[in-house]
Amino acid sequence: MTHRRDFLRAGGAAFAGVTLPQLLAGTEAGGEVSCIVFFQSGGACQHDLFDPKPDAPPEIRGSFRPIPTAVPGVHFSELLPRCAQSFKEFSVIRSVYSREAIHEKAKQYIFSGSRPNNAFKHPVYGSVVAREFGGKNGLPPFVVIPNRDISADAGFLGPAYDPFITGDPAKKDFSVQDLTQPLGVGLEEAQGRARLLAALDEEIRQVEKSKLVEGMDHFYQKAFDLISSPAAKQAFNLGAEPDALRDAYGRTTAGQGALLARRLIEAGVRLVTIFHGGYDTHSDNDNSNKKLYPVFDQAFSTLLTDLKQRGLLDKTLVFALGEFGRTPEINHSGGRDHWPGVFSVAVAGSGVPGGQVIGSSDAHGAAPKDRPVSIEDLGATLYKKLGIDFHKEYRTVGRPVKINSEGTPIRELSA
Amino acid sequence: MKYLILLLAASPAFCDGLRVEPDDIVLAGTGATQRLLLTVERGGDEDHAAGCRLVSDNPAVVAVQDFTAVAGMPGEAAIRATCAGLHTTATIKVTAATAAPGISFTRDLLSILTTKGCNNSSCHGSPVGKAGFKLSLYGSDPAADHRMIAVDRRIHRTEPASSLLLRKPSFQLPHGGGQILTLQSDEYNTIRQWIAEGATADTNAPRMTRLDLYPRERILAGENARQPIVVIGRLSDGTTRDLTGEVRYTVLDESVIGPPSGAVIAARRRGLTVLTARARGLTATAQFAVIERRAGAGYPRVEANNLIDDFVFAKLRRVNITPFPLSDDQVFLRRVFLDTIGLLPNADETKTFLADAAPDKRAHLIDNLLDRDAYATHWLTKFEDWFRNSQYYSQGRTNGSYKRWLRDLIAGDRPYDEAVREMLTATGDTTVRPAGNFWHPAIDFMLKTFEVSKATPTVTRLFLGQRIECAECHNHPLENLTQDDFYGMAAFFARTKVKHGYAQYRRIWYDTREGEVLHPVTKQPVTPRLLDGTTPSLSGDATRREILAEWITRTQQQQFARTTVNRIWAEYFTLGIVEPADDFRSTNRPSHPELLDRLALHFISSGFRFKALHRLILNSRTYQLAAHTADRPGGTDPLERALFARYEPRKLPAEVLLDSISQVTGVPQQFNGYPVGTSPKELIASNGATHFLTTFGFPRRDVMEPRPDGPSLGQALLMMNNEAVRGKLAEESSVLTAVLNQHQDNRAAVNELYLRALMRPPTERQSAALISFLDAEREAGRTRRRSFENLLWAILNSKEFQLNQ
Repeated sequence: MTHRRDFLRAGGAAFAGVTLPQLLAGTEAGGEVSCIVFFQSGGACQHDLFDPKPDAPPEIRGSFRPIPTAVPGVHFSELLPRCAQSFKEFSVIRSVYSREAIHEKAKQYIFSGSRPNNAFKHPVYGSVVAREFGGKNGLPPFVVIPNRDISADAGFLGPAYDPFITGDPAKKDFSVQDLTQPLGVGLEEAQGRARLLAALDEEIRQVEKSKLVEGMDHFYQKAFDLISSPAAKQAFNLGAEPDALRDAYGRTTAGQGALLARRLIEAGVRLVTIFHGGYDTHSDNDNSNKKLYPVFDQAFSTLLTDLKQRGLLDKTLVFALGEFGRTPEINHSGGRDHWPGVFSVAVAGSGVPGGQVIGSSDAHGAAPKDRPVSIEDLGATLYKKLGIDFHKEYRTVGRPVKINSEGTPIRELSA
Repeated sequence: MKYLILLLAASPAFCDGLRVEPDDIVLAGTGATQRLLLTVERGGDEDHAAGCRLVSDNPAVVAVQDFTAVAGMPGEAAIRATCAGLHTTATIKVTAATAAPGISFTRDLLSILTTKGCNNSSCHGSPVGKAGFKLSLYGSDPAADHRMIAVDRRIHRTEPASSLLLRKPSFQLPHGGGQILTLQSDEYNTIRQWIAEGATADTNAPRMTRLDLYPRERILAGENARQPIVVIGRLSDGTTRDLTGEVRYTVLDESVIGPPSGAVIAARRRGLTVLTARARGLTATAQFAVIERRAGAGYPRVEANNLIDDFVFAKLRRVNITPFPLSDDQVFLRRVFLDTIGLLPNADETKTFLADAAPDKRAHLIDNLLDRDAYATHWLTKFEDWFRNSQYYSQGRTNGSYKRWLRDLIAGDRPYDEAVREMLTATGDTTVRPAGNFWHPAIDFMLKTFEVSKATPTVTRLFLGQRIECAECHNHPLENLTQDDFYGMAAFFARTKVKHGYAQYRRIWYDTREGEVLHPVTKQPVTPRLLDGTTPSLSGDATRREILAEWITRTQQQQFARTTVNRIWAEYFTLGIVEPADDFRSTNRPSHPELLDRLALHFISSGFRFKALHRLILNSRTYQLAAHTADRPGGTDPLERALFARYEPRKLPAEVLLDSISQVTGVPQQFNGYPVGTSPKELIASNGATHFLTTFGFPRRDVMEPRPDGPSLGQALLMMNNEAVRGKLAEESSVLTAVLNQHQDNRAAVNELYLRALMRPPTERQSAALISFLDAEREAGRTRRRSFENLLWAILNSKEFQLNQ
C-alpha cells in the first residue's frame, strides 16, 4: 500500500523541488516558545475581571463582589472563581493602557504593538512569527480560531503570512474549514485528481518562470502536505480528546477553541489566537457578563491547568486580554462603553511567575496608578519570550518599519 | 487608426550624432573647470565616446584638457568634437569670478558634509538630527546649517584644530559615526582653514538652483563596460559649477552597477537601476541598464501599433530585448475580457471572435467591451479601492449612493478632472450629494470630527501621486518635504466641516468662513500653502477647497494627469511607469519618463476621459504581447517586467475569480440579502465579504494600500476543498449536466469545458492526460458525472485558470 504522504508526492510530483526562498524562509529551527492569545473581543471590563473596586461608588463598582484568590490579599471578581483558584499559574497586569478607542484600531494596535497609521498596515504578531520561523510539521505557523478578524492580518507582509482559519470548533461535527477532502472523496480519488492537476499544470510550468507561479505551486504543495499530514489531522481532531476534558474546557467556542489551541501548539503551531466575542457590553452589563465571564473563567483556567499537566506551560506564553477596558461609570443603559484608559491583562507560561499582580489602577479603575504598561511593552514582551529580536526592522513603502516601535519587555514577567 | 513604424527605419530617435554634455556651461572665474562628457549616438544606441577629440577654438578663453574644460579669461569659446566622422560643437562661456576668495561655507563646507555623508538621512540629516547635532538634509538649508555649526561649542576660532567639528569626525573624540575624516586630509584642512578664516557664512553667495546628472540614461554592455559621469550645478547668478566630486551618490541596486569610483560607473550584473546624486538639497537621477551585448543587425523588426509601442520598443531595443511575440487570439480574447469587464467570454463570443478573419477584430472587440455595462461594474471595484468606499467609514449608510455615483462616472466616461473637482468641493448631505462620501475616510469615527491630517495625504496621493503622510510626523527622509509643507496643505481643509444627522450616519458637509489649522510645533495658525511653495490668493468667494481643486486639476493638470494615467497603466502592466504608482518624487525615477508625459498629454487632450486611455493602451502591441511562448519562457529576466517586454501574468482578483467560477460551472453565486447571480462587484457593504473573497484579497478598503496580490496557503486550500468551488461542481444545475447530455463523446465534452474555462481546446498532451484520467475513473467505478466533477475540479485548480496571462 502506498504511504499516505507518497500519493501527494506522486500526485504532485511536479510540486516537489519547488523553492521559493522568501516564502520558504521559515525553518524548523528557532521558536522554542509558542504562544496562545485568548482574546476577549470587544473589550472586557477590568472591574468585573481581575481588578474589582469594592470601595468605589455603586455606579462604578457594579454588581459583582470581589472574591479571594489563591494569593492572600488579591481579589478577583466573583465571576472568576476558577481563575481565582488557579492564580498561582499566572500573573495579572492591572495597569495596561491603550490609546485607541475604536474596536478596529484598538485591535490592530494590540495585535501589532503599533498604532494604526495612514501610511501602511502593520503585520500582527502571528504574521511576524510566521515570517520569522515558518511552519513546523507541515502545520501552518499562525492559526486563528474560529473566524477571520481585522486584527489577524499580515498587513504589508502579504497574504502568505495571513493566519490559517479553523472555523468554530464548538460546532457539532466540527472539521476545519477547507482542510478536509470533500465529503465522500476518498484517498484514491483525491490522488487521481491531484495527478491530473499536476499534468494540466505541466505546460505552464515549463513556460512561466515568474515568482507568482512558483508561489502558487509552493502553496498548493503546502496545502497537499497539510491535508495529508497525519500530524495535522491529529492536531485538528478534537474528537481524540476525552469527553471529560472537553467538558472541563466547556462546550463553547471559547472552551473548545482553547482546547484546540492546546492541541495545535502541541503539534507545532507557533501562535494561536482564540477570538472570544461578546464583550462589547454597551448595555446590560450585569446579565451579559454573568453569562460571558464564566465561559472565559472555565476555558482559561482549564487551559492553564492542562498545559501545565502536559509540561507545555513552560514553553507556551499565554495571554488573556481584550482591545481595551470599559468605562468606570455604568451608563444609563446599564452598560459600560469603550475605555482605553486602563484595563487588565493576564499572562502565563514560559517562565512568567504565577500569583503576581503587576501595576495597579486608580480607585475607580480609570487610569494606571503605578507601573503603567503600554501596548508596546506587551509586544516587546511577546517577541522577547518567543525569541524574536524586537528591535528588528522590516521595510515597506520605501521605509524601515520596526516590528516594535518603543516597547520594553516587562521585567516582572521574566523568571 | 493604426499606424505602423519600423523600428529600424529613420525616426528622430535614431539620428546618428555626437553630443557634448553638459550644455549651457558658464564657468565662473579663471581656473574654474568642468568635466565634459561626449556621447556618440548610432543606430539608436548611445555610448561614451572614449577615444574622441575635443578642440577649443579659443584656448585663451576655454582650454580643453582630457575632457575637462578649463576657464581662462572671460569670453566665449566653441568646443568642437570629432568622432569617427561625426562632428558637433558646444559653446562654453566664461565670466569673471563671482565667489569671494577663501573657503566658502555653502560651497566648500556643505560639499564636505554631503560627500562624507554627514547630512544624509541616517546621520545628522535625519529629521531629528543625531546626538543633538542636526543638519539640513543634503545641505538644503545653508543658513540653518551655519547656525548649527558656527557656535562656540563646536568651533574654536583661535585653535581651529581643537574644534569639536574636527575632533569628532577625525575620531579624536568618540563619534557615533566613526572616523569620517583623516587628519590633514584635504577636507580636514579645508574645514580648519574655514574656521581660521572666521567661520563665516556666505549666505549672499549665489544659490544652487538645479542639479543635472549626465548621462541621463545609459546602457552598459558587457561586464567590463565603464561610463564616466558628470554632475553640474546651476546657480542663481547664471553660472555653473562642476559638482561631480561634491555630491552624494546612491545606487538603487548595487548588484547592477557599483557606486561611482573616480566619477566612473562600472557594470556589474544584468539589470536596471538608478543612480542618484544629491547636493544642496537638490537631486538628479540617471537610469542605468547592464546587458551582455547590444542589439546587432539580427535584432528583429517589431511592428508598433501606436505611440506606446514607439517608446516601449525603442527602449527594449536599446537593452537588446526583443518584445515577446503578439499573443494568440485565444490568449488575447481571455485577457482583454478579464481586464476590461472582469468576466470570461461565453462560448458564442469565443467562437465568433476566433472565427473572425477581419484584421482589425481586436480593435473592434476593445470598442465593444468598453461600451458594455460590465466595463463600468468591473472598473468600479478599482475606483472603490482607490477612494476607500468602505463600510468601515460610513457604516454602510451611503456606500451604495457613492458606489452608484462612481459607477456613473465610469459608465458615462465623465471628464475625470470635473468629477474630481466635484468630490473635492462637495458640500451637502451625502445621501443626496454622493460625491461628499469622498471625505468619509477622513472622519474620526469616535469624535465625529473631520480630520485634516487624514484628508491631506489622501488628496495629494490620489490626485498628485505624492505621499506626504510621513511629513505629518517628521520631515521626509528622502525629499525636501517638511512638516511645514504638510500643514500648509492641511490648511486648505481648515474650514471644512461635517455635521452628523440622524443616528450619526447621515452626514452633511459644509465650509465655514473661519477656522485655521495650528502647526503642531509652533502652535500658530498656518497659512495655506501649496506643495509648489506658492500661496494662492485667498480673497474672493471661493472656498479654500475650491481653490485647491482648481490648483490640482488645472494648474497642476499635467501632474494630475500623469498620476492618473500611471495608476491605470499599473492596472494593466502590474507595475506603474512610476512604481509604486502613487509615489512620485525626485528620487523615484519613472522607467519611461517621455512615455508617461505623452500619455498624460493624451489624457488631457481627450478631455480627461478614461475610455480614450483604455483604448490607447489596449490597442498597443505592448499590451497585446504574449506572456510566454513554447520556446521562450517568461519571467526569467527582471528587465522583461521592468521594461514591459511581455504581458505579466497576474492572479484573477477575488471578485473576478468567483465570477469566473460561476460562469464556467454555470452555477450563480448567492450572497445573503442579494438576488441570485449578484456579482461580488455589486456588493454594497465591503465588510460583508465572504470567506472566499477575503481569502483572495478583497479589501476592507480601510487603508489606502494596494490589494495584497500574492498567493497563500488559504487560497490553495479553498480552491481545493471549499464549498464555493466543490459545491458548484456537484450542483445538479451545473453546466456538467448539460455538457454531458449534449456530448456522449468524452473528448467533445472535455473540449467544451476547456473552451468555457480557457477559451481554447486542451493541448495534445493535456488531452491525453484528460482522457486517460477519465478511463482511470471509469475503471475505479466512478460515474461519468462524478469523473467529470473531478476533471472540472482540476481545470479550476489549474494555474492557467486562476491566472490572467
